[in-house]
Amino acid sequence: MTQKIADSATNLRYQCLQLMLRLQSNSGSLTRLLPEAQLRVAEGEQAQLQAWSFGWCRWAHQLEGLVDQLLDKPLKAKDKDVYLLMQLGVFQLMHTPTASHAAVDETVKVVKRLKKPWARGLVNAVLRNYQRQLESLQSGLVETGLHSHPQWLISQFQRDWPDQWEAICAANNLQAPMCLRVNQQRGSLEDYQQRLSADGMSATTLPQLPWALVLDAPVPVSRLPGFEAGDVSVQDGAAQSAAQMLAKHVPKGSRLLDACAAPGGKTAYAAESGWYSQMSAIDFDETRLSSVASALKRLALESVVEVLHGDASQPDAWWDGNNFDAILLDAPCSGTGVIRRHPDIKLLRRDTDIATLAQTQAELLDALWQTLNPGGVLLYATCSILKAENEHQVDAFIKRTDDACALEGARQIFPGEQSMDGFFYAALQKRNA
Amino acid sequence: MSVAGIIGAPAPVGNLVVSLLDILYYPDPLLRRNASQVKNVDGEVAKLVDNMLETMYDAPGIGLAATQVNVHQRVVVIDVSEENNTPLIFINPIITSSEGVAEMQEGCLSIPGVYESVKRPADVRIEAIDREGNPFEMDADGLLAVCIQHEIDHLDGKLFVDYLSILKRNRIRKRMEKWIRDGADLDDLPERPERH
Repeated sequence: MTQKIADSATNLRYQCLQLMLRLQSNSGSLTRLLPEAQLRVAEGEQAQLQAWSFGWCRWAHQLEGLVDQLLDKPLKAKDKDVYLLMQLGVFQLMHTPTASHAAVDETVKVVKRLKKPWARGLVNAVLRNYQRQLESLQSGLVETGLHSHPQWLISQFQRDWPDQWEAICAANNLQAPMCLRVNQQRGSLEDYQQRLSADGMSATTLPQLPWALVLDAPVPVSRLPGFEAGDVSVQDGAAQSAAQMLAKHVPKGSRLLDACAAPGGKTAYAAESGWYSQMSAIDFDETRLSSVASALKRLALESVVEVLHGDASQPDAWWDGNNFDAILLDAPCSGTGVIRRHPDIKLLRRDTDIATLAQTQAELLDALWQTLNPGGVLLYATCSILKAENEHQVDAFIKRTDDACALEGARQIFPGEQSMDGFFYAALQKRNA
Repeated sequence: MSVAGIIGAPAPVGNLVVSLLDILYYPDPLLRRNASQVKNVDGEVAKLVDNMLETMYDAPGIGLAATQVNVHQRVVVIDVSEENNTPLIFINPIITSSEGVAEMQEGCLSIPGVYESVKRPADVRIEAIDREGNPFEMDADGLLAVCIQHEIDHLDGKLFVDYLSILKRNRIRKRMEKWIRDGADLDDLPERPERH
C-alpha cells in the first residue's frame, strides 16, 4: 500500500506559481492574495511563500529579461505558467539559499502538477543554462531588466528625476526596514529603546522624528514589548514626518479631519500627540476603516476620534457643516514611493492609472478645501514619487484656488532616504477672507 | 510520488545481501492469483521478507504483499511508522475479527499515482506468524488496520480498485494500460483525476 503524501517542496513551488499567475492577471494585490495562498502550504512554509512571492514581484522584470535570453522563441500565451515557473526557478537560484540542485529539481517537478510533462526538459534546460551562462546573461539585460522595473515607470522616473532615477530604482528593490512609533503618552523614546534592548532587539532613532525607532531586524509585532497594550505601533518615518508637519502649522486645540484615514496610522499619531481638541477620521473602504477603529482601540484612544464612513470627495454626505482647522489628506496614489514594501505595485500598476489617480486627487483637494476654516491648513500627502501626483498636483491646485497658498516645508522624500518610504507632503493654507 | 529524502533512510535489514524486486502493475493478471500458505518459515522466506522490505522502503510504500512481487505465498511486510523504522512481518495472516467502519484514501505500489477513498472495517484483530516462525496476535486500528486489510486482499488476488465503481475502475485501468505502453516511467505517473 502507498499513502498519498503531498510533497511539500513541490507544493510550495506550485502554490507560489499560482499566486504569481494571479498577480500577473491582475486578480488582486499581494496583500490580499497572499493570506489565502498561505492556507494551501504547510505551516512551516508560509513564511517562505511570503518571502518568495515578494521576492519574485521585486525581481520579476529582471527574471523575465534573463529567461527571455534563454528561450529560442517566446512561449505561447497558454503556457504562461511554464514561463513563470522558469522565472521562479531562476529566482531561487539567484536570491534564495536553496541548494541549486534542489531548486532545479523541485521546480522541474511542478510541470507534472501543471499537467505539462512536455515542459520538463525545457524548464530543466533553461535552469541549467542559466547556471552556466550567468555572467553573459547579466550583461545581456536591457534597462527594464537591469533595474527590474516596468519600462513605463522607468521612463516616468527618468522624466521626473533625471539625476536620481537609478538610485530610486535601486532603493525600490531593497527590503524596507521595520519602523516603529512609540506612543508618546506612555513614556519616552529612550525608555522604549531600552525595553527593546532588554528583549534582545536593537533600534536606532531617526533625525527630526521624536517618536520613531528603526529596528535593526524586523520582528512579528507580537514580539514588540507592550504592543498589545498600545505602547508602540508600526509606522514608517515618512508618515510620522507628515503628521508632525501638520501639527507645526496649526495651533493646539484645533479641529482635525483625517481624510482617507485607513489604516489609521496618522490618525493614531495625531491622537497620541494630544494636539487636537476634536478629531474625525473618514475613509471610503469599510473594511479598511475597521482597521482604523481597531488601531485606536489598541491604543485606548477610540473615544477621542470620530470614525466616519464615506467618500471624502463628497462632503455633503457626511460633513456637519462645521469647518475644520486642520485637514490631513493622504490621498490615494500610485504607491510608487512604497514599492520596496509593496513590490507588486510594479506588476499591478499601469501607466494609464496615473492620470486617473491625479484626477481623483484633484477632486479630493477641491472638495475638502470647502470644509477648511479660513486660516486653516490642509496637508496634502502621497506615498508617490511622481510629480504628476505631487508638486504638479499642488501647483495646479494653488493656481486654480484663489484663497490657497503653499506654506514652507513641502518635501519630497525618496525611498530609502533616512530609512524612510518615498513620500510627498505639502502644507496648504487657506487665506483669511 | 517520490518522498525519498524526506522520510529518511530505509530501516536496516541485517547483513544479508538484499535486492530490489520487480513490482507487478495493475492490470497484470498475475495480481489476481491466490497465494498459498507458507509451510515452513525457513531461510528462503527470511530472504524474501528482507527483499520485500527493501523493495517497499525503496518504492516508497508502507506495505507490500508477496503477490505484488510475483511470489504467490502468503507473506506481507508493513511499516506505517513516520521514521520508517518499525517493520512488521505477517506470514499467513488472517483477520479473526473486525469492527466499525472507516474511510481512508488508499494507494498501491501496483497502481502508482492513483489514490481513492475506500471504506473498510476500522478495527481488526490479526493472527499471523512472525519471521522466526512464532505465531502472534495483534489488534490494529487506523492506518495499520487499513494497510493490513489492503495487503491481505492482495494475497487473495484482490485490489483496492475493486471497491470502486466499475466506471472508475475502468478509467483507472485504461490510464494504467496507457502508462505501461508509454514505458511505465515512475517519474511520469498516470495523473489522478481532478476532483471538485
